[in-house]
Amino acid sequence: MDFLQSALLGFQVALTPLNLFFCFMGVLTGTLVGVLPGLGPVAAMSLLLPTTFHVTPVSAVIMLAGIYYGAMYGGSTTSILVNIPGEAASVVTCLDGYKMARQGKAGPALGISAFGSFIAGTLSIVGLMFIAPPLASMALKFGPPEYFSLMIMGLTVLTFLASGPMWKALLMASFGLFLGCMGMDNMTASYRFTFDILELSDGIGLVPVVMGLFGISEVMLNVEQSMGRTVFQTKIQNLLPNRKEWAASAGPILRGTVLGFFLGVLPGGGAVISSFVSYAIEKRISKHPEKFGTGAIEGVAGPESANNAATGGAFIPLLSLGIPANAVMALLLGAFIIHGVQPGPMLMKEHPQLFWGTVASMYVGNVMLLVLNLPLIGLWVKILKVPYPILFPLILLFCLIGCYSLNNSVTEVLIMIVFGLIGYGFKKFQYEAAPLVLALVLGPMMENSLRQALLMSAGSPMIFFERPISAVLMGTALFLLLFPLIPKFQKKRPAFGE
Amino acid sequence: MNNDQLSGAVWLVIGLAVCLGSLQYKLGSPAAPGTGFMPLLTGLAICFFSAVGLIHATLRRRQGEKWTSPLQGVRWRHALVILISLLAYALLLVPLGFFLTTTLFIAFLLRAITPQRWSVVVLCSLLTATVSYLLFEVWLQAQLPKGPWGI
Repeated sequence: MDFLQSALLGFQVALTPLNLFFCFMGVLTGTLVGVLPGLGPVAAMSLLLPTTFHVTPVSAVIMLAGIYYGAMYGGSTTSILVNIPGEAASVVTCLDGYKMARQGKAGPALGISAFGSFIAGTLSIVGLMFIAPPLASMALKFGPPEYFSLMIMGLTVLTFLASGPMWKALLMASFGLFLGCMGMDNMTASYRFTFDILELSDGIGLVPVVMGLFGISEVMLNVEQSMGRTVFQTKIQNLLPNRKEWAASAGPILRGTVLGFFLGVLPGGGAVISSFVSYAIEKRISKHPEKFGTGAIEGVAGPESANNAATGGAFIPLLSLGIPANAVMALLLGAFIIHGVQPGPMLMKEHPQLFWGTVASMYVGNVMLLVLNLPLIGLWVKILKVPYPILFPLILLFCLIGCYSLNNSVTEVLIMIVFGLIGYGFKKFQYEAAPLVLALVLGPMMENSLRQALLMSAGSPMIFFERPISAVLMGTALFLLLFPLIPKFQKKRPAFGE
Repeated sequence: MNNDQLSGAVWLVIGLAVCLGSLQYKLGSPAAPGTGFMPLLTGLAICFFSAVGLIHATLRRRQGEKWTSPLQGVRWRHALVILISLLAYALLLVPLGFFLTTTLFIAFLLRAITPQRWSVVVLCSLLTATVSYLLFEVWLQAQLPKGPWGI
């Protein structure tokens, strides 16, 4: 099937009324959770995962993907109007976006972030369409050693880019790998670390862990603080940026797109990191860096484009290699598997309507978001005015119902609560949970490929360094691990996050 | 002792526990790794990185980094109330059924953290329970537990 035919097939799938409906529900929910601080795409997707059991895999994936890129649109609104990031990838938008709003330029700030997001989102889907198929055919040559090395590299990239000391991120990744080992050993069909709990025999569930670490713990931390927040009272007008603002933003949008896309493709990269890098680059190459932080439109356009481009890029490793690049993609992988579809090199051949339908729906979704978002800003502002003391019981209830209805199991709810407490401890002692989640998902895959590779080599670990692709991947991982030890670079490791 | 020294020590204990736990299972050989092989590797990794962290934190301690209470300056009792109410929800859900448990849960949280007016409490809790029941049980057929009252 040639490219045009495939794209046509995709649009045929994406434009059926049912899939349009799911796409719409996805982007709307995504924007909503993006707008609401303390509820990110990861929590929202795990919440809605059980609701997709009754629909076809295509519709399920279309909706879940919509939540992800929809959240990237929504997050900027809160950053600009309230100076609180709606979700992590919009942290950096607060810096200049909120300042613009204070200067009466909330309209152009919201406008440029929506247009930038649209342009970047659309271009990154084009990139996805062109890169994923050749990568998938290349991945057919991958054996267990290559897969193992690739996953090691992904985890290393994530720990390298995590905020705080690298040993903490590596600890989280190691612990995540251990959690991934719980349950049945696939190769010998024997159980381990199940503590006689029936729910653990299939391994520890991703949804309870993620909801606990990201949903429950976030609420626990928020209620400790004073819960007042003020939506900046301003008339939002002139959403369409003027010519001067477009001229200033064009470069940042394009650079943000390219940067976000490639950081998104990299396992362990993603929307949060790319928004920070984009801001740093724009500031560095700007003719007036002193204006950054005081309301420079470049500081909104670049990062907002980068985080949306990263969402398109992040689909590439999942759809072509079967490896999730971040926690959101890990959930999506879970959704694929629940529906009996194994993402990976064979996905495009075995389920072309699923692959191309999802990709085409992302074009449709981006158009919906652009059309929806600007007129709906008034509505989002109203939602932001709902006081947190009324909102947080609802967030908790959604987590409880979402977790329970997954398997109708109270034990899983208890697991979620335990991970809520663990996540609270992580935040208090400044550990980042993202490497843990990625490792938890990759764990079983890594174990399988490690054991298969060692069987192939009769126990010699050199197999990871003797095969060229694997050697390059392992070399990169080792370089990143040892990089902070080189005295000259000790302070240069980029630290992202809060 | 500073914060990282404490958390590093806790991780070291966890790492050792994982290693000991893994030894209960068949380790196999490098050429044919068994069930306990990967957990042992992760346990060793946890031990190694926590040791690195402990050394790092001790060096920082010598430079004067002290213990700062993670609970200082925040209303941690609020977080504790959340935790207890979540546990209560999980334990009462099956015996009391979804509707009543949810109503009580929402009403309690609305009163306990930042006390709302009773009218708001009653209205919000009943409305939330009804809407979520219709949404999840009736529309999405989530099969939530039913109490003695059938809802």
